[in-house]
Amino acid sequence: MGWGAPVVYLCALALSLGLCALMLILAGKPALGGLFMLFRGAFGQGHSLLDALIKAIPIFLCSLGVALCFRMQIWNIGAEGQFALGAVGATWAALTFGTLPGVVLLPQMFLSALVLGALWGLIPAVLRLRLGVNEIISSLMLNYVGILVLEYLVFGAWKDPASFGFPMTSEFPPAALIARIWPGWLGKLHWGLIACPLAGVAYSVFLNRTRLGFELAACGEGERVARYARLPYGFLVLLVMGLGGALSGLAGSIETSATLGRLQPTLMVGYGYTAIVVAWLARLKPWPIAFTAFLLAALRVGVEAMQLELQIPAAFGQIMEGAILLCVLAGQFFLAYSVSLKRPRTGPPAQVAEARP
Amino acid sequence: MDIAPHTPDVGPVDVLPLVRLAGVTKRFGQVLANDDISLSIMPGRIKALLGENGAGKSTLMAMLAGRFEPDAGHIEVAGKPVAFASSRQAIAAGIGMVYQHFMLVEDMSVAENVLLGQAGGFFLDPAQMRATVGELAARFGLGIDPAARVGDLSMGERQRVEILKLLHRKSRVLIFDEPTAVLTPGETAALFDALRSMSAQGKAIVFISHKLEEVLSVADEIAVLRRGRIEGEFLAADVTSPADLARRMVGRDVLLDVHRDPVPPGPLVLAVRDLSLQGANLSGPALLDHVSFDLRQGEVLAVVGVAGNGQQQLVETVCGLSRPESGQVELLGHGWDEFHKYHDWDGALAWVPEDRAGLATCRSLDLTDNMLLTTREGFSRGMWLDRARARTAAREIVREHNVQPGRIGLQAWQLSGGNLQKFVLGRELRRRPRLLVAEQPTQGLDISATEAVWQRLLEARKSMGVLLVTGDLAEALQLADRILVLYRGRVMGLFPASDSGQVERIGALMAGLS
Repeated sequence: MGWGAPVVYLCALALSLGLCALMLILAGKPALGGLFMLFRGAFGQGHSLLDALIKAIPIFLCSLGVALCFRMQIWNIGAEGQFALGAVGATWAALTFGTLPGVVLLPQMFLSALVLGALWGLIPAVLRLRLGVNEIISSLMLNYVGILVLEYLVFGAWKDPASFGFPMTSEFPPAALIARIWPGWLGKLHWGLIACPLAGVAYSVFLNRTRLGFELAACGEGERVARYARLPYGFLVLLVMGLGGALSGLAGSIETSATLGRLQPTLMVGYGYTAIVVAWLARLKPWPIAFTAFLLAALRVGVEAMQLELQIPAAFGQIMEGAILLCVLAGQFFLAYSVSLKRPRTGPPAQVAEARP
Repeated sequence: MDIAPHTPDVGPVDVLPLVRLAGVTKRFGQVLANDDISLSIMPGRIKALLGENGAGKSTLMAMLAGRFEPDAGHIEVAGKPVAFASSRQAIAAGIGMVYQHFMLVEDMSVAENVLLGQAGGFFLDPAQMRATVGELAARFGLGIDPAARVGDLSMGERQRVEILKLLHRKSRVLIFDEPTAVLTPGETAALFDALRSMSAQGKAIVFISHKLEEVLSVADEIAVLRRGRIEGEFLAADVTSPADLARRMVGRDVLLDVHRDPVPPGPLVLAVRDLSLQGANLSGPALLDHVSFDLRQGEVLAVVGVAGNGQQQLVETVCGLSRPESGQVELLGHGWDEFHKYHDWDGALAWVPEDRAGLATCRSLDLTDNMLLTTREGFSRGMWLDRARARTAAREIVREHNVQPGRIGLQAWQLSGGNLQKFVLGRELRRRPRLLVAEQPTQGLDISATEAVWQRLLEARKSMGVLLVTGDLAEALQLADRILVLYRGRVMGLFPASDSGQVERIGALMAGLS
């Protein structure tokens, strides 16, 4: 990629910020002031950085999950639904075994979240292998189903009788809550954070050091190569979708237990979709995923601040996320191709956009 | 019989050629795809371009269609030199191409597809459009319903739509790239009638194929292309022997001589008995028809034939991709099922496929990972992969086989075809196979890489049996101990390469004449 890559990414970032400024102007708000507010809201104070870090945890875990699938060109768009199912699994454990002590209860919750998330990820995998159903469509559709399952339970069987009709479960027992690391200094930052380095290290060890990890990367080149090299293609599809779903499910359980302390529909704020953006921007590599997850989490925090101060709709954050993704993807075109101008055919033959794949 | 050697311009002298190629040369890196080619394409004539895969047919036609520019030489249209910078300019000059993969909008009608982007005014008149297309189709004998939806049409009918598109754009030269590959025999006959009708009305037709009988039945003139050069050009009426045509196509001129030590034959490594394969088309001819042969350690058995006569099916069956339908395949003394179920990564079977860039390697993995592709079992302990040892091994392959540039961190696509092939061969030999299947191992390689690959294969046969599938007769004669000729899935002959009487007849056998 060479030195061109940072320049292209900076230009893409500048372009997307420019687009956002334009939208602010169209909405009748101060453009530069708005961007400044966004920046200050995201990075200006210690507590906003902590807030971004907390939001980055589920994004990072979901992003690792989808990146694993993207590695072998299985397009798992279903992190959002797997996240929801993970939350449902954790809640089930918390409500069923609520009397157990934390050392037993928390692993129970994680385990049921991992299992439910993995099962939700396996559905599109099986559909693809058995019936040839495109996993993009099935995993995307299952997002809506997953969220509806969550809402069905929260509005119905699991609704807290004492919630005055609000859709939420009763508060989890203290043993089911992930503790904060250092409430005095680090605010709401919780121990769920350590899942990130653990998962990140496991991800890169799996891909770089194990035979299955290698086979997965080789499968990404297509089924014909897989047949030639006798790679277990079907097994690997099941494996990555299962593991990817489990990671998203884990994120769902951590988010439910640590930040909400109960299950309610406001849990679903689109981390699963942001995770896809993160995985793409970071080109599926673990360190860049961590960095990008933090950046996009900070963007969310900054937009929240801007929203309060300028009365801007909440969707603005998603518009910005989309603008960044589009600009960077467009910028990647310039990393793969170089542009040269085409003159009229008098001199030596000119070349246009010669591929440098 | 005698065919006049290379008479460049065979058309009637008083007619100006529509298109003339003069000394056209095209290189891709080290490989000369087209070498000083001169051809005249005459109005009212059907010119067949006959050649094996990789002979340079497609490159030549891509230059005519404006997709590449020649490195040397030039193209003339109606006597004036032209330089196409895009396929649009070639179409404007009256040169149109029917590709193997059709470019049609399935949800639109035939008439809409033909007139897409062509209709004059803002408003469309469907009845008028159908009438225009119907009239055009009738004029050239292309039976088709202009109102039919393209998605409902057969492949043969879709091809007619493609032809109508060109005719409506007033193309004067129509190039057909392997047009019969997707057609049934009936559709093929209809296509040939249409070709004759178009040529009778003054169109120049170029017909690209590697199928002898088709070329002989439809062409007025035949140019044989081999290794990027025009190997011969003659009137179809002068060809009395298809066998000679076949021989010219696969050639037997010796490019270079390799030294071969005699190797005593060893144990049997592959035994094929009565192998038959029908394939998906139940009413069509069998893809493999009672094929039987043996292969011993210490010998190279060359399977020769024009491409598409069952070679691919034979290789895929031996290498475990498709199960034999009937008949037996025994590998190293084991039945097919047993062998492929308990396949060892080393000491058994290795396969160097024809498609080295798309099948044998992963383009965006580096050389270490590409080496691991088929040898990963040898570099793993339990679930762990020993990449350090793999890098050492990849470096050894690169050094032993002189793969350039010799950095193992490079990705597969960064290597030239020849160097990639040396690497693939090195990787497969590292598995110490007892049976090696090599498919078109030197296709598209330059002379030095070809020589290197040939030397390796000859050395390798000391410890294994080599099944060499090739469309290049010179290669078969250089390397093989025995030669097997395939035609339409049948074994036409199986004889020692030293049997000069039989070797003389290879061309005839390849053309299906026994």
